[in-house]
Amino acid sequence: MKQFNIVLAGVGGQGTLLAAEIIGTAAVRDGLNVRVSEIHGMAQRGGAVTSNVRMGDDVLSSMIIDGGADVLLGFEPLETIRGLKCASQKTLVIMSSEHIPPSELAARNVPYPSDEEIRANIRLFTDKVIVLKAAALAKEAGNNLAQNSVLLGALAAVEGFPVKMESLLEALRELVPQRHVDVNVRAFILGTKTAKQQLNHV
Amino acid sequence: MPEKKTLLQNTFGKTVLLLGNEAIVRGLLEAGISVVTTYPGTPASEIGDSVSGIARESGIYMEYSVNEMVAVEVAAGAANCGIRSLVAMKHVGLNVAADALMTLAYIGVRGGLVLVTADDPECYSSQNEQDNRYYALLSNLPCLEPSDPQEAKQMVLDAVELSEKLELPVLLRTTTRVSHTRGPVSYGELKKPNLRGEFTRDPKRFLMVPAYSRPKHDVLLRQAAKAQEISENSLFNRVTKEGHEIGIISSGSAYNYAFEAANLLGIDASFLKLGMTHPFPKRLVANFISNFEKIIVVEELEPYLELQTRAAAQENHLNAEIFGKMNNQCFPRAGELTTRLVAQGLSLITAKKVPVDFERIDEAYSAAVKGLASRPPILCAGCPHRASFYVIKRVGGDRATYTDDIGCYALGIAPPLSVGDIMICMGGSVGLAQGVSRVTDRATIATLGDSTFFHAAIPGLVNAVYNGSHIVVAVLDNSATAMTGHQPHPGTGLTGMQSPAEKVLIEKVAEGCGVKYVKVISPFKTKEAATVLKQALAQPGPSVVVFRAPCTLMDLRERRRKGLTVKPSKITDKCTNCMTCIRMLGCPAIIVEEGKVRIDDNACTACGLCISTCPFGAIEGSCAE
Repeated sequence: MKQFNIVLAGVGGQGTLLAAEIIGTAAVRDGLNVRVSEIHGMAQRGGAVTSNVRMGDDVLSSMIIDGGADVLLGFEPLETIRGLKCASQKTLVIMSSEHIPPSELAARNVPYPSDEEIRANIRLFTDKVIVLKAAALAKEAGNNLAQNSVLLGALAAVEGFPVKMESLLEALRELVPQRHVDVNVRAFILGTKTAKQQLNHV
Repeated sequence: MPEKKTLLQNTFGKTVLLLGNEAIVRGLLEAGISVVTTYPGTPASEIGDSVSGIARESGIYMEYSVNEMVAVEVAAGAANCGIRSLVAMKHVGLNVAADALMTLAYIGVRGGLVLVTADDPECYSSQNEQDNRYYALLSNLPCLEPSDPQEAKQMVLDAVELSEKLELPVLLRTTTRVSHTRGPVSYGELKKPNLRGEFTRDPKRFLMVPAYSRPKHDVLLRQAAKAQEISENSLFNRVTKEGHEIGIISSGSAYNYAFEAANLLGIDASFLKLGMTHPFPKRLVANFISNFEKIIVVEELEPYLELQTRAAAQENHLNAEIFGKMNNQCFPRAGELTTRLVAQGLSLITAKKVPVDFERIDEAYSAAVKGLASRPPILCAGCPHRASFYVIKRVGGDRATYTDDIGCYALGIAPPLSVGDIMICMGGSVGLAQGVSRVTDRATIATLGDSTFFHAAIPGLVNAVYNGSHIVVAVLDNSATAMTGHQPHPGTGLTGMQSPAEKVLIEKVAEGCGVKYVKVISPFKTKEAATVLKQALAQPGPSVVVFRAPCTLMDLRERRRKGLTVKPSKITDKCTNCMTCIRMLGCPAIIVEEGKVRIDDNACTACGLCISTCPFGAIEGSCAE
């Protein structure tokens, strides 16, 4: 199987690690060769968190080479920008537009970059962008903490994503705490639906 | 983390996605390893944590030892009663354990003993990036280096066999990218643990007085020679790909980068993958070298393989040109390698062009991130350490010197708290403070955590008492080894077997060490805490102030479990946007929008610290004062 590389970029506490583990578990279910990279420990405390998921027969390393991502799953706009190192023209950016302002902005009394600035920065790399409000959609599904499932749902809608949707949902059911499964499945479906509407125009 | 059950499934042949560290745990379950000891430290922590979750059910004894040296000693004691044991730690933990390990190599082991050292290139969560393969060279012990989770599991099985065959402890050296990579792992049979050991007296073997040590050094060298033969023929040291153009020697995660980079560049290379890197298989390597005019050694951190590759070439009068990082800087010696860095190095050597326009990517990237606000790790909203540092800073100000230590509280060095002037190692704050206070006239405050206090601070404290040092030791006690995942320690009342135990109280230990002024306070009662700290500073000898409040992450989890809701603090009309809370606290739950201060209801834990710092009384909610 040809390589498929995904970067997940977000803030500690947004559920990027769990989302990456769900993709990896689903890939194993589908018999794919997969590697997932994580960063634990000090970097997790409210800081920027990046995970990589790589699938494909010839994949050995868990780290995506600069410019090598097929999808950049951005959980937060600033972190999406920071994740662009792995992006190039081939990359599809799926970004949640809701802000988590870093403390530095308040301390320096600087505003959060505008939507236009963020768009322009992404366009330095790729024109393929879809934007959604993951936390709002998650709230609609029943709990704003399910934003990672919204983004997983959006990822599942992408053409060429090699993991079967039902495997992804099975892995989600297995790894999300039992009492939150229904909300997360609803969030996933909302994510898929929202992404599909936009993917037609990318 | 997969459910506990996943690691314990007796399903031969099943393939499961596991973290490298979890794969090591699966390996120890399949190897019948029965005693596991550790001190938590990134990137090794999930080994102990996964075992702690299943120890009781699987019949293993597991403990979070007070530090890495004790962990090695406990495992060595069990192993010398014939019980298979494993001890896990981060790379710098082996510095603490080195005293035990170096002589354990002389007495050896009866049951297999595997020592996992998890190195951290790039210092993702560490104070340095030392290369622990040199400990194998220093101690004459065998060392295995996996590249991925599947290999990590397999190497635990082989390491324990090797350990018993040679009667020596065996090092298993991982790095962050192996320990914290998930990959498919295929399961073998589980083996029943055995905790019924027997100690047989053998003074000449076990009592390392000089007369017995001298001959044991010879024994160690003989065993190392046997290990050398094993390494020459090990299946972990093998040619993984035949090519004609060039020979590449590599190990660990560097092998993954090298293999992918060579593919990317279209280099027709042969690969010699080394999995047993000590003793170095020099005949095998010499054989490999003899086929090529150019040899490239790709490895992370120190040129450990390269040095020995050069020695093997010289010993065999081979003239191949050797590329690496010793004479020609083809790859960086500091920091983590990446596929890109390796591709660029290979391109330099082979003159093959990298098919990716990295320059364009770099240009676009620096334009995109120009002025982008950073998001470093910070103390969580509601973290009791923020309150402690607020108090310490108010009392000590800019005049005092703050010696710092390893743990979450190291995040207090970030502005606006900015507490922390010097930090080197676990427990180091207490010793450093004594040196600083001895030769300066400044107030000196050591800040360290509860787990760190037990780990390495007690000898330093005794030293301060006996030598009459004028220091304040501020123990920021949040009832957990928080940074690494809230593991228990002797102050928490819980063991690695997850059974209750009587707490060892820090204040009692301090009193027992002879400290005259010992107080326990709540950091959120800021006025009271400040008064106590001032008194502590006025003491003639050392004093200990324990700032005690549970880690907010654990506290929130507990509150949620009890069904209690958090009522976030509120900013009222009295707020003048004076920004005192922003300037003094740096709490991530307090944000500024369009010039106005606001509390993020989702992030606020209602700790009340901002309420007691607001000069206008403009924040409402429950306050500890």
